[in-house]
Amino acid sequence: MVRPLLLALFEVKRFLADRGALAFSIALPILLFALMVGVFGGETSFNSTAHVADLDGGDAARKLIERIEDVDGLDVRRYTEAELNDALDRSAVLTGFVIPAGFTTALESGMPTTVRVKRRGNGGDAGQITAAIVQGVADGLASEYELRRALGTLVSDAIPPEQVEAHTGVLLGDARRDPPVRVVNQTLNEESEEEDILDRLLPGVIVMFLLFSVTLNAQTLIEERRNGTLERLLTTQLSTGQLFAGKFLAGVSRGMLQTIILLVLAFVVLRIAGLNALAQSAVLALVVSAAASAIALLIATVARTEDQATWGAVFITMFMTVFGGTFFPIGDSGVLELLSRFTLNRYAIDAYEGILGETATLGDATFEMALLGGVAVVCLIVARVLFRVSSEAK
Amino acid sequence: MAHMEAFLAATGLTKSFDSVQVVDSVSFTVRSQEIFGLLGPNGAGKTTTIRMLSTVLDPDDGDVNIGGHSVAKESDAVRRLIGVCPQELALYPELSATDNLVFFGRMAGLSGSQAKESAADVLERVGLTDRAKDAVRKYSGGMKRRVNIAIALMSRPQMLFLDEPTVGIDPQSRNHIFDTVLALRDEGMTVLYTTHYMEEADRLCDRIGIMDEGHIIALGTPAELKAQVGDADTTTLEEVFLSLTGRSLRD
Ligand SMILES: Nc1ncnc2c1ncn2[C@@H]1O[C@H](COP(=O)(O)OP(=O)(O)O)[C@@H](O)[C@H]1O
Ligand SMILES: [Mg+2]
Repeated sequence: MVRPLLLALFEVKRFLADRGALAFSIALPILLFALMVGVFGGETSFNSTAHVADLDGGDAARKLIERIEDVDGLDVRRYTEAELNDALDRSAVLTGFVIPAGFTTALESGMPTTVRVKRRGNGGDAGQITAAIVQGVADGLASEYELRRALGTLVSDAIPPEQVEAHTGVLLGDARRDPPVRVVNQTLNEESEEEDILDRLLPGVIVMFLLFSVTLNAQTLIEERRNGTLERLLTTQLSTGQLFAGKFLAGVSRGMLQTIILLVLAFVVLRIAGLNALAQSAVLALVVSAAASAIALLIATVARTEDQATWGAVFITMFMTVFGGTFFPIGDSGVLELLSRFTLNRYAIDAYEGILGETATLGDATFEMALLGGVAVVCLIVARVLFRVSSEAK
Repeated sequence: MAHMEAFLAATGLTKSFDSVQVVDSVSFTVRSQEIFGLLGPNGAGKTTTIRMLSTVLDPDDGDVNIGGHSVAKESDAVRRLIGVCPQELALYPELSATDNLVFFGRMAGLSGSQAKESAADVLERVGLTDRAKDAVRKYSGGMKRRVNIAIALMSRPQMLFLDEPTVGIDPQSRNHIFDTVLALRDEGMTVLYTTHYMEEADRLCDRIGIMDEGHIIALGTPAELKAQVGDADTTTLEEVFLSLTGRSLRD
């Protein structure tokens, strides 16, 4: 039984010698994944820059800018008035903030003042959000000055103004550090489709390319049937059964190799999951590769020409990829959900998602693994019965 | 020199595809250490015959014995004795000659080190040692043909089947192949060689079976065959074929 293994190793060597196949099964999935992350989000929380021209330069203006900088997801970039106008003219900036001269004096003396928001068009979504945040921060700052001033006039006869100032300063600082009303984020993963698709995308792309590269390889088996290498192998000590087993193992090894390279890359670059999850994914990859390899053998056995094998592989893979929830969520019921049950991708992605997301283990994926393994066994049996080395040979 | 006892004996080989008989009751023997030629036009049934002799195609009728083993009943034993070079380039062009040879050698039951050793030997023999590491895809047509033959030699077989090994190659490679085949015969190998080039059969073969439309229509040494038609010194095999069939071999 060494010969099927040797045959499989030889096939891996052929795969590694084929730059086109390598690019297709390793570089392309990486590219597609990167593109899709770009399309579906990546930036999941708000992130923007406030473009500020400080014409005042006083204490209150400095505080306002500091507090804007303190807001999560918000940076401040400073401009002179001319620079800001120029950037707005060029549409390099869509929303700018101008703190007018006399801002600090006005606040300290209780006179009304303004922070001017300069907009290009509607100012852009991020600009509008930033403007609302700046408004809030400015309101808070104005209240503090108002409070200080009111307190100062109220108690100025009894207590020296420096002492009043020091105490209110401490109190207001405390209130800012430890606000009486907190706004806390809670992410509801189950209900967020965008999050969901990103979690499923990595396994989805991995499974898709595994299916593609393993099933498209069915075509080379037809080529070997045509150019006589299969028949030639039968004149050696290799039996038809060993040849069949070798070709099956070859598909499994190829699928494993490809999946593990992609998983390790994801592990290193994206820092998804831990080593344990990675190891469990490898076991899952073995079962998925076995199913893909068995399907490939079935295609190669049924198809008569290389074109038939290619289109068979493309059709099967595309159907299973699209309806298996690679690019959009399947939902809990309806036609899509029904169709998805006839895809390997759905089960493979579910299992990978749980393991890579570290919300489940291999044990939780027993059903999926049994189903994938079952498909592998059934396809293998049918393919073995129909397998011929050439159109009329044994 | 060739011995008289048969190394291969085929009796009544018959095969039809889609109810067309492409090989019809073919019988002949190949003696130990001779080059036996099957000469005939395209479609005569040479390849189908070789496939039946070399264990990959079951005959509808008839029997083959090679080296004392029945092809039908002891195909494993037969496979240990034979090396087959098919008409097509049955190899993996994206890999090097050495990789191809080692792979087929291992499939033929050699160990890793035996296969490497044997690969170096046969590469030397077909004159490809200095190109051994290049992908076969980069070779000329003649060099690819030589690799195709080298693969068949990997297991050091007692009997070699060569199915039209010189189709479409340059004269230099062709001469190289002739020299190789003659040397192998002289070292004791039994060779079955098919061709549709009559001058090739004439030059190379100890005995020739002329095949046409699934039948062996004449059998003997080149001289014997020519003598059936005229003067053995001036007659060509082409004329033999013409007189037997009324057609030219070149058609
Ligand atoms: N697998 C096959 N199916 C149907 N017909 C075939 C098959 N193989 C060969 N033939 C036919 O059998 C005849 C003999 O073919 P072949 O043995 O290849 O002849 P040769 O090798 O002498 O050129 C040809 O007419 C060919 O078309
Ligand atoms: Mg032929």
